[in-house]
Amino acid sequence: MASQKKGGAMSAVGGFFGAIGGFFKDFGVAFAKGDIFVKLSVLWMGAGYARRKQYIKALIMTALEAAIIAFTLTFAMQYVPKFGTLGTVVMERVFNMKTMKSEFNDYDNSFSILLFSLFSFVVWAGAFVIWMRNVVNVYRLQQKAEAGEHINTFREDMHSYIEEKFHITLLTLPVIGITVFTFIPILLLIFVAFTNYDQQHMPPSALFTWAGFSNFLSLFGGGLTTTFSYAFVRILGWTLVWAFFATFTTYIGGILLSVLLNSAKTRVPKLWRTLFIITIAVPQFVSLLLVRNFFSNGGIVNTICANIGLTGFLRDIGLVSTSYIPFLSAPGWAHVMIILINIWIGVPYQMLIATGVLMNLPSDQVESARVDGAKPFQIFKSITMPYMLFVTGPALVTDFVKNINNFNVIYLLTEGVYTTTNQAMANSQAKEVDLLVTWLFRLTQDYYNYKMASAIGIIVFIICAVFTLFAFNRMIGNGREEDYQ
Amino acid sequence: MKLRKAMAVVLSAAMAVSSAMVVSADEGPVTLTLWGAEEDQTLLGELVDEFKAAYPDQEFDISIGVESESTAKDTILTDPEAAADVFAFASDQIFDLVNAGALLNLEDFGEVLQMAGKTLDDVKAANVAGSVEAATVDGSLYAFPRAADNGYFLYYDSSVLSEDDIASWDSLLAAADAAGKKVGMTFASGWYNASFFYGAGFTTGLNEDGTTAIDWNGTSADGYTGVDVVKGMIGIASSPAFMAIADGDITNQIAGGQLCAVVSGTWDAIAAQEAFGDGYAATKLPTFTVGDTQVQQGSVAGYKFVGVNGFSENSGWAVLLAEFITNEASQQKFFDQRESGPSNNNVLASDAVSANLAMAALGKQAEFGVAQNVGGKFWDPSATFGEMIAQGNLSVDDDAAIQEALDTLVEGVTAPVE
Repeated sequence: MASQKKGGAMSAVGGFFGAIGGFFKDFGVAFAKGDIFVKLSVLWMGAGYARRKQYIKALIMTALEAAIIAFTLTFAMQYVPKFGTLGTVVMERVFNMKTMKSEFNDYDNSFSILLFSLFSFVVWAGAFVIWMRNVVNVYRLQQKAEAGEHINTFREDMHSYIEEKFHITLLTLPVIGITVFTFIPILLLIFVAFTNYDQQHMPPSALFTWAGFSNFLSLFGGGLTTTFSYAFVRILGWTLVWAFFATFTTYIGGILLSVLLNSAKTRVPKLWRTLFIITIAVPQFVSLLLVRNFFSNGGIVNTICANIGLTGFLRDIGLVSTSYIPFLSAPGWAHVMIILINIWIGVPYQMLIATGVLMNLPSDQVESARVDGAKPFQIFKSITMPYMLFVTGPALVTDFVKNINNFNVIYLLTEGVYTTTNQAMANSQAKEVDLLVTWLFRLTQDYYNYKMASAIGIIVFIICAVFTLFAFNRMIGNGREEDYQ
Repeated sequence: MKLRKAMAVVLSAAMAVSSAMVVSADEGPVTLTLWGAEEDQTLLGELVDEFKAAYPDQEFDISIGVESESTAKDTILTDPEAAADVFAFASDQIFDLVNAGALLNLEDFGEVLQMAGKTLDDVKAANVAGSVEAATVDGSLYAFPRAADNGYFLYYDSSVLSEDDIASWDSLLAAADAAGKKVGMTFASGWYNASFFYGAGFTTGLNEDGTTAIDWNGTSADGYTGVDVVKGMIGIASSPAFMAIADGDITNQIAGGQLCAVVSGTWDAIAAQEAFGDGYAATKLPTFTVGDTQVQQGSVAGYKFVGVNGFSENSGWAVLLAEFITNEASQQKFFDQRESGPSNNNVLASDAVSANLAMAALGKQAEFGVAQNVGGKFWDPSATFGEMIAQGNLSVDDDAAIQEALDTLVEGVTAPVE
């Protein structure tokens, strides 16, 4: 079964490369067999269309070609040639007393060079694909013309974009959006991880440059700073532990709660459900900050515990050494508290989802099980849970990934309250309760250590991507529906 | 080679032409942006109008933006080229700002200051020595001191504690314990806990490469060892009357009502007045025990500065504006309208300032205040060190463990900057 799926994944990858190969082959065939105008299209992108009397298309392609050349000469050429060094000219300033102004030299900004070079590469990659497609397209036109088939007018071509090619019209905007707002930033993040962009090398007044794999070396223990790898391993461990517990406690809790509320024996279920949903109605950061203050060292919970003698009792049996209970300020205590508070925050969401799913639970199965004499727990174990897992499996995977990057809960609960007493952690600006993502945040926000933050960001990305791929492949692979049946 | 020379000639010719154009296009108004704290906006507006009136020959277009002194660095370093020409910031940010080229070296602008009828030495002489020292990096002045109220001292309830009680930590804690009250201080912050080390003659400093120099694991100039200082701190933290307060939670705790004395700054004056009522009083910090002697606790003297962005184009006028809003008359206005503790010697000496209890206590402590020159790597390790003492992780009998913790602290603080 598993090998079959692996085979499926392999063939998908194979298909992908096959498509790329086919694309280049089409181009080769078109160029070799095309007439002089198809060949000319390699230089003048409008040539083939002009020959087939598609003058507007020829004009558009010519304009596009001119725009790309203009972009290359006026914009890309300012940055791309410096991509290898990320700039060499450091800022210099002279004050001119006559004008009362500072005069600057034409200095390089490593960050602009990196960003705009990447942007240029993406534009060129797009242009390259269009350029190849263009040759293939005009060759098709030539074939049509030779076969005496009808050649579309511009109006007919345009019309096809709201008919048979409507998907292209629909997808253009999202694809551009994803490229500009997701793809290029991720690319930038990846490249920064291979530079020395940190507080000592901050543009615009200083330059940064390529540093190879040194950031990853110091993250995994081969570099100069041993504490970084020390902190990384521990934070990664807690991140995974947290993601696991945060996901499953709220998941199970939500299902149990909704089963309880759906039960015929529960009175006024609507009232209870509303009460639980109120937690969602309050913005998360408000409730989290309040809870943080409740459980802080001098907070209301500690005052109550001290007054009823709980703090003294815990001191006597040696669980706490301080005059307060360190709910959110000592490792162990804080870890457990964070997961508990997260249950309170997260369960209502899961309860809502579970309620929806349970309403669609096939009642014939439950009925026949009951007729056969199954106990409520047996029904829950053998019918309800498998059904829930089948329907909400993909959501569970997304939740796990979301929890790996659950910045809000961790940061709002511990920032300003938790001070580590582990000196090795402190020396790499980390705390025991940090997730990779909160550590990354403080490295950039407080220490301008962009290179390490990028390296950590890549690791987080790889973890999430690999986990998602595997989990989805296992869960949504074909045949699961039959498994359930 | 020849080509390069030709290029150089062409380029310098182009430069000459463009700079000539700049000079001839000089007729329009000078555009400047000024950033200050939200609560200072009205006053800054008044000062800008006065500034314009002071230079009637020049046309200005000055806009004022909101940026708190405490967060100025974060915003400016995000994009120094887009940040304001003139901005206010807290003194501990000066090294990062200078390092990022976001502050102009004012030593280059002596000629400009003559337009205000001053020299740079006049500015330095007009403000308290500590503020000028804190605004100086590598021997050059990088910012104009505007306020000297960013330090801490002792607030106490004089209905609970007598003058004798507040002389030393030992008597303070004993009296508080007897009264069933607590004494609060933040240990988990390098800004607060450094006061013990500074008091005993230890130092921190900044090296040229941006790393921090720190000697707390050795013996100080006054002959005390770091281990003995830590033992003194453990002695305070282990007292049942001591309350270690998380950084940023002090105001809450003052209002909580358990405290009869607390280490904090002028920003908590109103909270302390409300909590202590008629007993409200403030003074310098107490002495603490190092070995078998009493040592006066030091403190960090913090200031507010106004600096000029290194990427400011109209830098000349920007320097004049920064000077104007920090001069004696402006600081007097800041004190009158905003109760901001002045750094100007003349304003500081006025009766109104010395009548203010908190301001007077700050003045008393200023004698023992130190400008804290540290890099970014100082904060996390020093906060952790203070928290270890506050939580009782270090035993007063275990010299070796204390020494090891101090060594680890020094190792973390002196780590190379990344």
